[in-house]
Parts: sequence; C-alpha cells; structure tokens
Amino acid sequence: MNANKNLTKAEAQDLISEVLAAYPAEAKADREKHLYVKEAGEESTGSCVTANRKSLPGVMTIRGCAYAGSKGVVFGPIKDMVHISHGPVGCGQYSWGTRRNYAMGTPGIDNFVVMQVTSDFQERDIVFGGDKKLEQILIEIKEMFPLAKGISIQSECPVGLIGDDIEAVSKKMSAELGMPIVPVRCEGFRGVSQSLGHHLANDAVRDWVLGKTDPEFEPTDYDVAIIGDYNIGGDAWASRILLEEIGLRVVSQWSGDASIAEVTHSHRAKLNLIHCYRSMNYICRYMEEKYQIPWMEYNFFGPTKIEKSLTEIASKFDQSIQDKAAQVIAKYKPWMDQVNARFRPRLEGKRVMLYVGGLRPRHVIGAYEDLGMEILGTGYEFGHNDDYQRTMDHLKNTTLIYDDVTSFELEAFVKKINPDLVGSGIKEKYTLQKMGFPFRQLHSWDYSGPYHGYHGYPIFARDMDMAINAPVFGKVKAPWKS
Amino acid sequence: MAKTRQCAIYGKGGIGKSTTTQNLVAGLAELGNKVMIIGCDPKADSTRLILHAKAQNTVMQLAAEAGSVEDLELEDVMLTGYRGIKCTEAGGPEPGVGCAGRGVITAINFLEEEGAYTPDLDFVFYDVLGDVVCGGFAMPIRENKAQEIYIVVSGEMMAMYAANNIAKGIVKYAKSGAVRLAGLICNSRNTDREDELIIALAERLGTQMIHFVPRDNVVQRAEIRRMTVIEYDPAHKQAEEYRTLARKIVANEKKVVPTPITMEELEELLMEFGIMEVEDESIIGKTAVQEA
Amino acid sequence: MLDENKTSGETLVVEDHNQIFSQPVFVETFKNKAAFECGEGAEAVAKQLDYSKSAEYKEKNFARSALTINPAKACQPLGAILVASGFKGCLPYVHGSQGCVSYFRSHFNRHFKEPFSAVSDSMTEDAAVFGGNKNMAEGLKNALALYKPEMIAVSTTCMAEVIGDDLNAFIGNAKKDGAIPTEFPVPYAHTPSFVGSHVTGYDQMMRGFMFYFTKDNAKAAKDNGKINLIPGFDPFTVANIPAMKDMLSQMGVEYTVLGDNSEILNTPMDGHYQMYAGGTTIAEVTDAKNAKATFTLLPDSTSKVTASCVKDDWEQEFVELTPMGISGTDQFLMKVSEITGKEIPDSLAKERGQALDAMADSNYYLHGKRFSIFGDPSYVEALVDFYMELGAEPLHIVVSNSTKKWGRALQKKLDASEFGKQAQVHHGADLWHLRSLMFEEKPDFLVGSTYGKQLALDVGVPLVRIGFPIFDRHHLHRYSTFGYKGVINLLTWTVNTLLDDLDRKATFNNDFVR
Repeated sequence: MNANKNLTKAEAQDLISEVLAAYPAEAKADREKHLYVKEAGEESTGSCVTANRKSLPGVMTIRGCAYAGSKGVVFGPIKDMVHISHGPVGCGQYSWGTRRNYAMGTPGIDNFVVMQVTSDFQERDIVFGGDKKLEQILIEIKEMFPLAKGISIQSECPVGLIGDDIEAVSKKMSAELGMPIVPVRCEGFRGVSQSLGHHLANDAVRDWVLGKTDPEFEPTDYDVAIIGDYNIGGDAWASRILLEEIGLRVVSQWSGDASIAEVTHSHRAKLNLIHCYRSMNYICRYMEEKYQIPWMEYNFFGPTKIEKSLTEIASKFDQSIQDKAAQVIAKYKPWMDQVNARFRPRLEGKRVMLYVGGLRPRHVIGAYEDLGMEILGTGYEFGHNDDYQRTMDHLKNTTLIYDDVTSFELEAFVKKINPDLVGSGIKEKYTLQKMGFPFRQLHSWDYSGPYHGYHGYPIFARDMDMAINAPVFGKVKAPWKS
Repeated sequence: MAKTRQCAIYGKGGIGKSTTTQNLVAGLAELGNKVMIIGCDPKADSTRLILHAKAQNTVMQLAAEAGSVEDLELEDVMLTGYRGIKCTEAGGPEPGVGCAGRGVITAINFLEEEGAYTPDLDFVFYDVLGDVVCGGFAMPIRENKAQEIYIVVSGEMMAMYAANNIAKGIVKYAKSGAVRLAGLICNSRNTDREDELIIALAERLGTQMIHFVPRDNVVQRAEIRRMTVIEYDPAHKQAEEYRTLARKIVANEKKVVPTPITMEELEELLMEFGIMEVEDESIIGKTAVQEA
Repeated sequence: MLDENKTSGETLVVEDHNQIFSQPVFVETFKNKAAFECGEGAEAVAKQLDYSKSAEYKEKNFARSALTINPAKACQPLGAILVASGFKGCLPYVHGSQGCVSYFRSHFNRHFKEPFSAVSDSMTEDAAVFGGNKNMAEGLKNALALYKPEMIAVSTTCMAEVIGDDLNAFIGNAKKDGAIPTEFPVPYAHTPSFVGSHVTGYDQMMRGFMFYFTKDNAKAAKDNGKINLIPGFDPFTVANIPAMKDMLSQMGVEYTVLGDNSEILNTPMDGHYQMYAGGTTIAEVTDAKNAKATFTLLPDSTSKVTASCVKDDWEQEFVELTPMGISGTDQFLMKVSEITGKEIPDSLAKERGQALDAMADSNYYLHGKRFSIFGDPSYVEALVDFYMELGAEPLHIVVSNSTKKWGRALQKKLDASEFGKQAQVHHGADLWHLRSLMFEEKPDFLVGSTYGKQLALDVGVPLVRIGFPIFDRHHLHRYSTFGYKGVINLLTWTVNTLLDDLDRKATFNNDFVR
C-alpha cells in the first residue's frame, strides 16, 4: 500500500482507468460515466457524473429496490400505521427491525415499527391473484390492532406482475374499516434503486394522506415540520429539541417516530425543514405548490453546519427566534469545543472515504471537517444529478466521486487511496475491516447514534475515534511477518 | 424400455386443440401406449373426454383449498380415464386476475416432485393454452420436458399467424435445448385448398403437415357425451383419422428447429392462396367522404 | 450530560444513546410531540395491552386466515445462496430484482458478521415484460470478468419466477452467445419465494449442484469409501462443520461435506479480503455420487429434491439425522459406524462422558422447566429432544415453515414421550400466535432467534438465542451445536441465561454459588 499521500487528479484518473480495465467493453463504457475526479479548487461544474441509471447486471451493486425505499425508508417508521409487506415473505423479513428508526409507543399496541406484517404470498395467491386475500388481511389487522390509525400496502414484485388492483381494494376497505389505507406501488423491479421507492411513497402520501383532515391545534407563526429525518438512533429527537429551543414549534416530524396524524397535518406547517433531500424533496415541492409552504434544506451534522443551519432557519422568522438561535448556539459552544478539544487531536488530518445513500455522502462532510478530517472519496448509492450538484461545494480536496459503485471498484479504490476510515454500509463493513480499514456504518450509525444535533456530535466524534484509533487495526499484520 | 416421449400441443385458442389432443391420445392408448395428459390451460378442458367428467379438479384449485401445493397428494390431482390414460389439469385463475402461466409451472413442478412421470409412460402430452403469452406457458418446453411440439392449425389467417408465433417461441428454447417442432396438425375448417395451404406453411416453417384431420360432426356428437370419437364410435371413419394421426406421431422422426417467417411472408402466402385480398394501396387512409 | 450551567471545565462524558434520551430536555420534547400525534392516550393503550393478553384475543388471533404477523421464516433464494457459498470459488448469482440480493447479503452480514458476496442481474421493468434473457447474458459476462469465480450458481427471485424465466435455456443461450465459455460451470435452481421458505431454497440449490455435476457420469462400480454430509441451513455452520469433521476424523471415516461454507464465513482479518475461501470442490461433488451413503444433518433443508436425487439418481442410502444432544449424536455415530464399519473410538466416548457430566451438573436448573421454542423444523425438533434429555418440558412449539405432516408427526412423538406431553405443536404459525400462547401459559424460557426478542420482553421471560438470525448478540455462531461438544455449548447458553434470570429476580439470596 502507498503512504498516506493524497492522489492528484491525474493519479486518480489513472486509478479509474486501471480499475475499469477489468470490465467487458460495454460495461466499462457505462461505468466510466459514473466516476469522476473533482480536483482541489476546481470550480463547481454541476453534476459531473451520470446518476440514477440502471445498475449493470452481475457487477455487485450495493443498491436496493423501490420497496426498500418505500417500506424501509419512508413508510416503515410511521409508527401508528401497520405496514403490510404485500407479497412473499422475504422482503418484510429482511427489512424487519434492521433500520433503527426509534419510535415511542407500545409495540404491537400503538407502535408497529418493530413488526413484520406480511401477506406471505403462496403459489395460489400468485396464480389466482391476491386481492381477496388482501381484503381479508385488512379486516384481520383491524381486529388484531384496533388502535392502529392506518394501514399501508407495500407492494412486492409479484403484485405488479400479476395485475392485482390494490388501489380498488384500498378504497373499498378504507370506507369499510374507517381508516386510511394507502396502497404503494413500490414493486422492487420498478426503477433503478431505492430512490423510485421514495418518490412513489411521497406520491402515495400526497394522494392518500396529506391534508385529508385538518388538525385541531391552533396555528402559530412558528409552526415547522421536520421532513426526511428517520430518527436513526434518535436523530430526529436530537434535532427537534434544537428547533424547540430556538422557539419554533414542531407540529410534524416524519417519518422517524412519526404518527400518521403528523403526516396528514403537515400542510399546516409554516415552513418545511428537510434533512434528507433525496427521499422527501418531492412532497416538499408539492406542499410548496399546493399550500405555498416554503421549504429549506438544513444540516445538523457537526457544530459548524448546525450553527449555519440554525442561523438560516431562524432567519426565516422574527428577531426573537434569531436571538434565541444565537443564544442556543452560544450555549452549546463550550460543550462542542470540549468535544473538539478531546477528539480533534486524535483525528486531525485523518483521511476518510464515504459511500452511502440519501444525504450523507455530502451532509456528514462538515462534521468530519469539524474534527479536522478530510474527505478523499464520496459517492451515492442512489443519488440523482441534483445530489451531485449539491455535493461539489463541500469537496475541498481532490476527491474521487463514484456513483452506484460496485464492490469491485470500491475495494480497489480503497486499497489504493488507503484512507484512515471508510464510512459505508453493512455489506461493505466486513470486507473492508478484513482489509484492515477502520470502518463505521453510516446507515445505521453502527448501532450507535444519534449523530444529529449537538447531542449527536459528541457521539459521532467518539465513534470515529473508536474506529480510527482502535488498537485492533494496528495488529492486522502478524509481528513475525515481514 | 424406451424413453418417455414428451409432446406439447400448442395452437390458437378455439382451434380444437383439446379435442384433437384427447382423440389423438385415445388413439395412442388404443395402440397399447401408456399416456399421460397434462392440461395447461386455466379453463381446464383437456381431460374431460377421457374422464367423462365435466371438469377435473385442478392442481391449483385443490392447492388453494389445501393451503399450499406442499399439502397436496398426487392421487388428489391425477385421475385415470379411458384405457388407463392418466389425467391432470393444472388449472388457473379466471381471466383478468392472477397469473395463469405460473399455475402451469406450479403444476408441472408438483407432478415432477411427486413422481408422476413414471418410467413406464410412453407418452406425456401437454395441452397448452392458445399462444405462448408468457414464460409460464413455455414451461412445457423447458429442458427435460416436452421435446416435440405439435401445432394445431387450420386454414384461417389467425390460426396460421399464431402457429408462426409459436414457432418463434420454439426457436428461443431450441437454441440451447433439445426442443423441436415436430409438425403441424391441420384440424380442418373446410376452407379452400386448406391442405395445400398448410403444407405450404409447414414447408416455410421447415416442418411437415403431419396429418390433415377432416371436419366431421361425429366429433361434436361424441363431445356432447364427453367422449372421444375413438371411444364413442370406434368404427367411424373419423376415428380412423385419429388413429392415423396417432400412428404417424409414433413413427415421426422429423423434428426440426423451425424457421419462422416474417409477417410479410405470411401475408404473401395467404394472398397466394386467396385467403387475404391483395391490398389496394390507393384506398389506404381514405374516408368514406373522400372515396365518394 | 448537559445542564444549563455546563462549563468546559468539566470532564466530557459521552453518554450511550440508550441513556441520553432520559434527560429532562428530551422528556419535555416527547411530551410536546405527543400533542401532535393524536394518539389514543395511555389509558386506551393500557386497556388494549391487557386485552391483547386475553383468551378472547387469543381466539381471534388464531382465527386469522390471511394475515401473517412476525413469521419465523425467510424466502427460498436466501437458502440457495447459502448453499452456493459452500462450493469452492463459487459466486452466488440471483436472476431477478437486485434489491433481493442486497437484502440477502445484509441478512447474512448481520448474522455471521462476515462479508457475503452475491450478485444479481438487476432485472427492471423492461425485463419484466420481455424476460430476463439479456440480463442473464450480460450478468454472467460481467460477473465472470470482475470476480473471476470458478463457477457461478444461479437461483431466482420471485419476479423472474412469476414471468416464467427458464434458467436452463437462458444460461444455455448465454453460453451459445459467447457471454461465458461453454465449459464454465453454472449450476442452477429455480427458487420461487412464494413456495416454501429458505430451507426449500437450500434443498433446491443443493440438488442443483448435485445434479449438475453428476448427471452425465455413471455411478462407479465400487463406492469411494466415503460418506457425504449435507450441513443444511445451519446458523452455526462455521463451527458445526469443523465439529463434524473432527468426530469423523476421530473415527477414521473419510467424508465429503457438500456445501462447506465454514471457511468463507470465517475468514481472518489479515489485511486481505478473500472473496473465495474453502468450499467443496467440483471433483468432490462429482465423486459424491459414488459415496457409501449421504447424511443430511438438517433434514428440513433436503427434504424433497435433494432426498430424491440421493435416493433415486445416486441410489444411495439417505440418512436423515441431526447430531444434536446426547441421543442425536449417539445415533449419528452409530449409523456412521454401521455404514462404514469403523468403530466409535474411546476419544468420542470420552467426549460423550464430558458432555453428560456437564449436563448432570446443570440438570437441577433445567429439569421440569417449561419452555416455548420457535425456528426451523429440524433445529426445533432436535433442540426439543435435547432439552427433554435435561428433563425440561416443551410447552409451545411454533414453526412457520413446516408442513402439516411434519407438525402432526412431531405432536404424535411428543404425546408419547415422558417430558413432551404438555407440548402443543403449531406448524405454519407465527410469533404473534406464540405471543398469545405464552400469555395464556407462561413458560420459564423461550428458545429462538433474535426475532423472539420483543416477544420475550413482552411476556417477561429470558430468551435463549439459538436459531437464525442472531443479530443482537456476538459470536454465538462461532460455537457448535452439533456433537457432544455442541451439547456443552447449548447447555452453557441455556443454563447461564436461566441463572442470569434467577439473579435478576433474586431479592435476598444473591448466592455466590449456584
């Protein structure tokens, strides 16, 4: 392995060529478009890679599917709805309890996040169609879970192939059972990744949930919604308290620890605050158009970005909020300084490669920089052009950018760039650890968190330190081996 | 013992596939062959003339009642009829719901796993719904299943169009497998020069017209009694036609990778035989007013 | 951690995420949030919680005909790729939607805490309409070029099955078109997710390998002197396969493990990632046809097509025995001895004695204890036998992926046994059924996978983690459950879980000695 020297643009481009040489010609031509080297100081050139295209067959993409985007990301965390994994048993099983969207409530009574509810399709359901079974399932859900406030139907692949009419069943049964029933056409073969599932789920919220009833609360000028925070390890809670501290009222939070009431009543917020732009921008744009609710992106990773975001959010409100925001920032500053004093010396100059989904390939960069670390590579599992556009300004060093990276490429890139830390997902974790690289999962926070807000940052800093400075990674080579 | 010959019969819906298959199979049984019929059509009418039954309980229907296919027993779904012919119907949904093709796959897998394909069988016949509309209806021509395909056809345009399409489907599977087109069976509709036309089509497809089955009302008379002609009126000349077909199939060696033709070629053929009018280019796109 | 008067002079304590949310500032925010949730209120929740434990609720719960809640089973291709991982240089390949493969991989990652390689051919909407022939050709070509496997094992997702794609034809076409060399081995199996479960997929793919590599070879006139072992869908395979090898080596019996994934799922951290490690070779599986007999250690994983391949195509004796517990291991060794003519050495008798010795030591904490259990049919059956050897009594046995036949046979066996008379076998049931059963009659402990975690908490009994998957405890999968040494592991986990429970409940008697 080379020494810890950052690659120049030319070297990085050579690396890309070297890695792509293994591909058959057609595949190589496709993959070339997904890789780019952004040079230090290079003016933002917009989206520099092709994104949101089909993955090549056989290359070991890390992506998931539309169902994962809808059930796993958008709907699954809504706690007082029962989410049916509609189709064969597997999809619901593999996504059962693995995403760590914390939610308050009593499991199985008024909180269904940690349950796997499925229609468990058998051969006869494929051959004869599943609509009758679905009707019966809805009746039985009402009986088993009378406090459930709604039901969503998360379509798996076969549902779309056999032509079931889940919308008709939903309409009929919604009237019969007196609760919202939301069909989502998120069959896994649709689209190219999780991303379409987010979009379909947003559309389902738009068509079947949002604004269907009006809230009872008296509106205030300070009502905001948190959108696109999934409360991984309690992230949304750590964010919410800051908004409350600066004097805002969070009337709706989704979908981490969300209730369907909050989602329904979101149209009464005065400002939509969006954290994960990728998965929830659609509904924000819709609310802007239909209800004239402005939206803004914010970033609660690391004190620098938090301060910037709190200030920006406050600027949309009156002086009292702006004053409080300044006070809150000041209040937490000593604590943040203390965190930096403790961890920055241990992490200064450490080099990081990221490969994640959603907002994280760009949003976490500021938090690493707060700790004195630098980013040498980043990429999105299911980003679109607008994600890459939003990323460019965050990149200070010469940075390798990889869209929908294959396992083959990621291993080769990491080997050559030799970072001090890789932040990615469970499928990459064990491979890279065996290669001797400190690793943190940046989907599940490696079973830690929260990482958002001032309360998240010390945990984030500690976790990165635990990985990078773990003695185990210093013992990878047996001492008797040269 | 000779290896079981597995044959699939395809053809446009309503062409008389099921009737032809059952009469043919009765003929084979009469010759002393052990035969099994597997109906691969959701409407499940592939075995009633052999069983004298209105409709046999299908694999899918019974599986739906039992909960899953694993809970079925072979004897629940396989019945024995005329001259020991074994009969099974795959079954499937009403039109417009579910996935009929999957029903075919399920049923055949079930029969294989339960040992229905005993080595003493001389023939297995799959009677398959109209056209190869999805992968499920190609199940009977997958590897280690039917290797001989017969297409039932008549001198009508749509029947021939369907036959050509089926030939296209066979080519896909013949590329890597042993499945071959073994002949066209003309089930006559008494159109003009029907035999010549089908012989010509067979030639273009690289195959043969294995037999011309004339039209005769005795077929319908037998069907009303839920019987094959061979059983109902063995001395009738129509029964002899089916016996001839059976004998020809027993002796058939001509199995080919078909050479499907283009739509233009098919139209030319039809025009040659006067089935289709030569198009008058001058009237294309003209409204009644314009023409007047 | 952070109070209003916090100064930077204090020592920084980074609290665990479990503690952080009990701080007053969070308690306050939860209260604020509740106002917008339009929940039913604490009283209604408490009432429903009570009701959900009632006999009336149980009746409704068991009347469910269409709805499945918290099942303990996964789908076929998961089992298929686990088989594939056990062959040397084999890349598991799934024909169909790509999301499935991401799920399979992460599922195994979380259980084994290991990498798991598998590719998909990423079929999307156009493939759903036109079929996946093109994806197959491209996928095989790319996978071979990038990952350089010695073979690729293809299974299917439900999408490919619904549209009726034919693996044999598609793989053949890919070879004809030059995507991969004609001689490159590509065993395959159709594995529809809407039939059976992960053990069915294991069965299909195992048979796929066996058939693919032996179909063209005539059986040798003389057997090769070996026995074959099929490990089955075993969450403890990493330790169980070496444990089996060890016992057979002690007997001097030669063996072939079909689908040996004990190396690939236990590679070292030494700076190099091994995408392929260990595994059954093509030569071994080819020669397996000539073995004296084939032993299947988890019969549920080989119950249909693998069984018939061994019996009908290979014309071998097929022994269905799980070597778990004292009697299970005894029977296994005696059967091996009978078939191979090799004696069981004293070293194994000593292991047996050591295991039995441990059981005698722990017996008093287990005898008469009543337990509920869920999992795959063969594991559950073997574990129930093992616990009954300790005088423990099965109360509820829930298996989501068994046939009626299996359920009836086990019920009959237990009805006739000394310790199993109270047992109720519920085949095809799920963990929500089990919840009602456990509230009706509370057992002393629950045995099962991580999926039983919430259930055990709800009912208030300890969970002994034996099953698949185990996501929330580390390294259990590195310990054997088979053989006499496995007895000691099973026993240790169980008795110590019960002792921890006893200590937690103790008020005055914090015994130093147990």
